[in-house]
Amino acid sequence: MADLQDDLHTAAEVGRADEPYPQEAVVVGPEEYRPVSDPDDAPLDRARAVLAAHPVCDGYSGLPWTLRGLPWYDLDLGESAVDADLPRLRRGQVGAVFWSLHLPDGHDGGRALTTTLEQLDLAQGVVAAHDAGLRPARTAGEVVDARNCGRVAVLFGPAGAPALGDSLSVLRSLHALGVRVLTLTGTSWAGPAGLSRFGEEVVREMNRLGMVADLSYASAPTIRRALVVSKAPVLFTRSGARDLRPHPANLPDDLLAAVGEAKGLCLVPLTAEQAGPTVRDVADHLDHVRTVAGPECVGLSGTYDTGGAHPQELCDPSCYPRLIAELLRRGWEESDVALLTWGNVQRVLRATAFTAHTAQQRRKPSTATIATLDG
Amino acid sequence: MTSLDDARALLAEFPVVDGHNDLPWALREQVSYDLDARDIADDQSAHLHTDIPRLRAGGVGAQFWSVYVRADAPDPVPATLEQIDCVRQLLDRHPRDLAPALTAADMEAARREGRIASLMGAEGGHSIANSLGTLRGLYDLGVRYLTLTHNFNVAWADSATDEPGVGGLSAFGREVVREMNRLGMLVDLSHVAATTMRDALDTSTAPVIFSHSSARAVCDHPRNIPDDVLERLPVNGGVAMVTFVPKFVLQAAVDWTAAADENLRAHGFHHLDTSPEAMKLHRAFEESRPRPVATVATVADHLDHMREVAGIDHLGIGGDYDGTAFTPDGLDDVSGYPRLIAELLDRGWSRADLAKLTWQNAVRVLGAAEDVARDLRATRAPSNATIEALDG
Repeated sequence: MADLQDDLHTAAEVGRADEPYPQEAVVVGPEEYRPVSDPDDAPLDRARAVLAAHPVCDGYSGLPWTLRGLPWYDLDLGESAVDADLPRLRRGQVGAVFWSLHLPDGHDGGRALTTTLEQLDLAQGVVAAHDAGLRPARTAGEVVDARNCGRVAVLFGPAGAPALGDSLSVLRSLHALGVRVLTLTGTSWAGPAGLSRFGEEVVREMNRLGMVADLSYASAPTIRRALVVSKAPVLFTRSGARDLRPHPANLPDDLLAAVGEAKGLCLVPLTAEQAGPTVRDVADHLDHVRTVAGPECVGLSGTYDTGGAHPQELCDPSCYPRLIAELLRRGWEESDVALLTWGNVQRVLRATAFTAHTAQQRRKPSTATIATLDG
Repeated sequence: MTSLDDARALLAEFPVVDGHNDLPWALREQVSYDLDARDIADDQSAHLHTDIPRLRAGGVGAQFWSVYVRADAPDPVPATLEQIDCVRQLLDRHPRDLAPALTAADMEAARREGRIASLMGAEGGHSIANSLGTLRGLYDLGVRYLTLTHNFNVAWADSATDEPGVGGLSAFGREVVREMNRLGMLVDLSHVAATTMRDALDTSTAPVIFSHSSARAVCDHPRNIPDDVLERLPVNGGVAMVTFVPKFVLQAAVDWTAAADENLRAHGFHHLDTSPEAMKLHRAFEESRPRPVATVATVADHLDHMREVAGIDHLGIGGDYDGTAFTPDGLDDVSGYPRLIAELLDRGWSRADLAKLTWQNAVRVLGAAEDVARDLRATRAPSNATIEALDG
């Protein structure tokens, strides 16, 4: 299990072979949280201190699609045409970000796949061209490595399910290319009626590969079924609380509770449309999700560079410390903030990889087709 | 020792790099990728030209697996990824026999380990859907050559077996070739029109390949390579991998096929139609007029000529097994290569010559493409050209 830990645990002293191996060195359990900020400091200073140790892992960025339309840009020194250039990511203490591979409406069949492949190619090219600031990451370990090297880790996904063209082979190829999250909407097997038999097989194959299921914008039946079928935690890359704001991608309390029970992760988007027009509205959603689903099941989704409006005080990723300061002002435990910003996504990535390792011992690549399963 | 023993001894040291094998397509068509139903670890001679025991018997040391998909299918890109996934699964299932290979160094390592280096080639520009991003995606998935067309033109390149379209390569077609150079993906000129061959040779700064084509001067078929193109290989550094397909290599078979095609057209079918009705007509034709049979000597004749024109450093082998219904006598499946080598030994080819033919030339070409790519990547960013912008 040692490879599942972020930090080296204190090993027993070397060279005392005659003594029994100390039990405490092999026990792996939740580590006690050590505070990193001074409770007497101003909330914004505390927020910066916490973020220095537990940076933001931002669950959704529309940057690849935005860059696709730009003839020229400079992410290193600052780019006014985007929200998330490197100076602002650094000011906002962002340590990792998911770059979505957006599929516009109406892209299906082979076109959905080429659109996805082109964006993935562009995204990988952008990361490669900015290697002083960005580093591609496929696993939780690589995310930590990037952070240790002072780079912002970039994970590729969510991609849209229509890109699969109903083929598990394509799913495996996308995984091989580095895609790590797939949104389960917009197909015949993950529609308003929920997951079909083939849809369930897609989820099982994703578990086997180590691809995280994103259920934002999925139908309630799909969400409920995926929570049952998936052996790995599921993700909501852009979902707030429906109780606070009626938006189709926001989750009602019963689903939030179910997500908490399944130890999924709901990432609250920092958009005016889904959360509300002020930083307090976003904090309200975070409060609500934390209360209903639990502190281990809530995270952050900047949703920058998607064209949507953001609360004024959270207009770009440099504003994250303000949001964290607001949470600390509301009395959030520092440990919960650390889970919110960094720990929960790490947990999901690690659990997903662990599930994949074990599933690969048991299962061969699935040869199921939609024709055989859904008739 | 007979020359067949000599051939086997030679292949043990310098095994065959085969440029084109359609096993993935056969697995797709026959069993929808149910790899248990066609376990290539065992004898599959009832169904396939290819399995591991026969690859071993044939002295194959490296195989470019074709990830071909039909050009007339609605979505060639997803189908291509399925083909790639099939190859990856084969590699996962047979790690002791098949070694994943992406570079010339990987090929040499596999030879040292006694495993069959497994590379991938995509057959036809339709597999990139006019998208350089998709081309790079295929490269990232391990594809190391792209045949610019299959039997039909693509929007940016003419096929040997279609009417003239853009007259060779369009501006976007040349950009595809340049981007392949930058990536280190080999430009494969089998299946393309002679005009496309010439345009590609004018454009490419890396050696090209013909993954499965023979000599047009020996057998006049559009799928073969004209002498003026073969003559350019020494300067380009590329390699022409002779193919065994009887209807390309034997003039009598070419004529027979032309008559058979004419028969199909006379009954209102397209000559490439493989529907049951068309195949029935085809069989009736075959009964009335026996199919001419190619032999090992037929293929050796091509190699003799290609050697004369292109030189010994620019030859290779691309059997097209499991991609063709018929094979020459003696080269019936992938275990047949030693008979071809024995024939060439009998014709006076030296061991050094044969080592180039079987192994060294092909490995050299992939390595050279990697060198060109290394230089180009240092100076050139990935191309984002579109067919709309370049071809209007």
